[in-house]
Amino acid sequence: MVTPTSPVSPSVAEPTAMGVVLDLIEGIGRVPRGGTVTVGLRQAHRAAALGLVAAWCAASGNEIVVAEETTLTVRHGRTPDPLAQLDPAQRPGSRVWVYTNFDCNLACDYCCVRSSPKAERRAIGADRLQQIAREAADAGVGELILTGGEPFLLNDLDDLVKSCTDALPTTLLTNGMLFRGARLERLRRMDRSRLTLQVSVDSATPAIHDSHRGTGSWAKAVSGIRIAHEEGFRVKVAATLPADQMHELDPFHVFLDTLGISREDQVIRALAHRGVADSGIELTVDSLIPEVTITADGVYWHPVAADHDDQFVTRDIFPLADAIAEITRRFVAHRRAADRAAEWFPCA
Amino acid sequence: MNAPLVIGSVAYSPNVVPIWEGLRDYFAETTTPIDFVLFSNYGRQVDALISGSLDLAWNTNLAWVRTVAQTDGACRALASRDTDLVFKTVFVARSGSGFTSLESLRGRRLVLGSRDSAQAAILPIHFLREAGLGEGDVSLTRIDSDVGKHGDTGRSELDALRAVLDDRADAAAIGINTWNAIGRGELLPGAFESFWTSPEYSHCNFTAMPSLTIERADLWVANLLAMDWQNPQHRPIMEMEGLQAWVPPRLEGYSSLVAAVSEQRIAPRW
Repeated sequence: MVTPTSPVSPSVAEPTAMGVVLDLIEGIGRVPRGGTVTVGLRQAHRAAALGLVAAWCAASGNEIVVAEETTLTVRHGRTPDPLAQLDPAQRPGSRVWVYTNFDCNLACDYCCVRSSPKAERRAIGADRLQQIAREAADAGVGELILTGGEPFLLNDLDDLVKSCTDALPTTLLTNGMLFRGARLERLRRMDRSRLTLQVSVDSATPAIHDSHRGTGSWAKAVSGIRIAHEEGFRVKVAATLPADQMHELDPFHVFLDTLGISREDQVIRALAHRGVADSGIELTVDSLIPEVTITADGVYWHPVAADHDDQFVTRDIFPLADAIAEITRRFVAHRRAADRAAEWFPCA
Repeated sequence: MNAPLVIGSVAYSPNVVPIWEGLRDYFAETTTPIDFVLFSNYGRQVDALISGSLDLAWNTNLAWVRTVAQTDGACRALASRDTDLVFKTVFVARSGSGFTSLESLRGRRLVLGSRDSAQAAILPIHFLREAGLGEGDVSLTRIDSDVGKHGDTGRSELDALRAVLDDRADAAAIGINTWNAIGRGELLPGAFESFWTSPEYSHCNFTAMPSLTIERADLWVANLLAMDWQNPQHRPIMEMEGLQAWVPPRLEGYSSLVAAVSEQRIAPRW
């Protein structure tokens, strides 16, 4: 037997870093796809090892979950892309909401943004809305949705809507109570081929609706729907219901059928515990798929919380593509964090 | 005719379960449904195949050679992965070690994987012998981890690489799959380099006994070969199992292992 001579040694750091990869390959082989493996890192070679593991992950289709000071956790396979799991219509930026104003002729007791006749207007304004519409179209947004407050309180609403419908299909949310006089004339000037009206009606009879929105509001809303139809507009109806009433929807749908609202345009949504609502489902950035929402104050995560700091994203509305990208980035980060939390949550 | 074909496989990793559940789901939609039984080692699986408990066994090359030996050649290989037809053994050392051929291993320390691993132990000895290096010419260290699984876990090969990194050996013999897994020396050029790669040989195959009729076997193989890498429902299973296409077996690719088993008097029931 010949005594072996020493081989030419590479630097010490490189084999040590490679040893981390060997540990990972062995560990990954023992866990199912989606499982994670944690290996130790020596501080002296941490940077080299992280670089090597990143390259190995890229080549092998695995994913670094977290790098701590002395440990490294890697997932077998890659986390599914949270965006790929969404319906295309749910992807952030597929549509953009704009609060035209916050003042309202009603003071609904569940309004998510605290609108009322006493609320400050905080109007988005014609110039900003025009830029939003233009940049939204350039950014690949498919639809604009205007809401308030009550948009028909704005004297330039027809011009505001035109700047939107010139760029994209648009939906305008309203309580439907103000279609008369100059406001009716403004409605008549809007582009029927590009604009859908969405009127809020909460019940098939006046009692429930009026209990939240004020006496006589149901009759005026129903009348508004008829006027909008007579003027040739497509009308959607959106109802806001407490969770305990969500199982009694059939009579309401039948009523809306009689108003000529197609079933696909009958939108029922659960009451959210936001704004002045004293009950309802809790909605947070962790539990809400974002819908890019713009107000005079900036960009928010979702229209249901456009008056709440916890869902404020940025004061910079423009470039709009950047705002959409930021919300998308945060959504992916939230989903991945939630997935990690779920993996670590102990059963017992 | 439509009773499920019972297929044996060795549970070398937790991923064997989703692989076979995926295959079972796939075959449930075909004319040849299957069920599967998992074994802890290839010896038990081959016993079950020969005794008739299984219709088919997903065998390593060593399990195939041992089944041939125990059945006097009556068993049949039905299909393999595309990757099984081009399997190789790679001899690696730390970069800059100066190895240029198997001959340059003379008097040096070579670390081998599990003694029942064709790629990391049995065939390397055969290739050394073909190169004129016999017992005593090379200092051999064997890392016998996961014996019974024929090197499927790769653990012994990773331990062999660690031995090289730790300077407990000068070179290691590993399978091409492990060499690929560590980036073929490209991931960290300063760590490992290969200095000899074997000719291609065959690795796994689905093995059947004569009790499975030709007609039924052909129908099942046709359904297996119909799995499509481009089909998003098939692809995850194929990715996990390490193939892009199921193919007919290449029997001549087992000749080197048959020779090696004979030379080394490998026990019949590993």
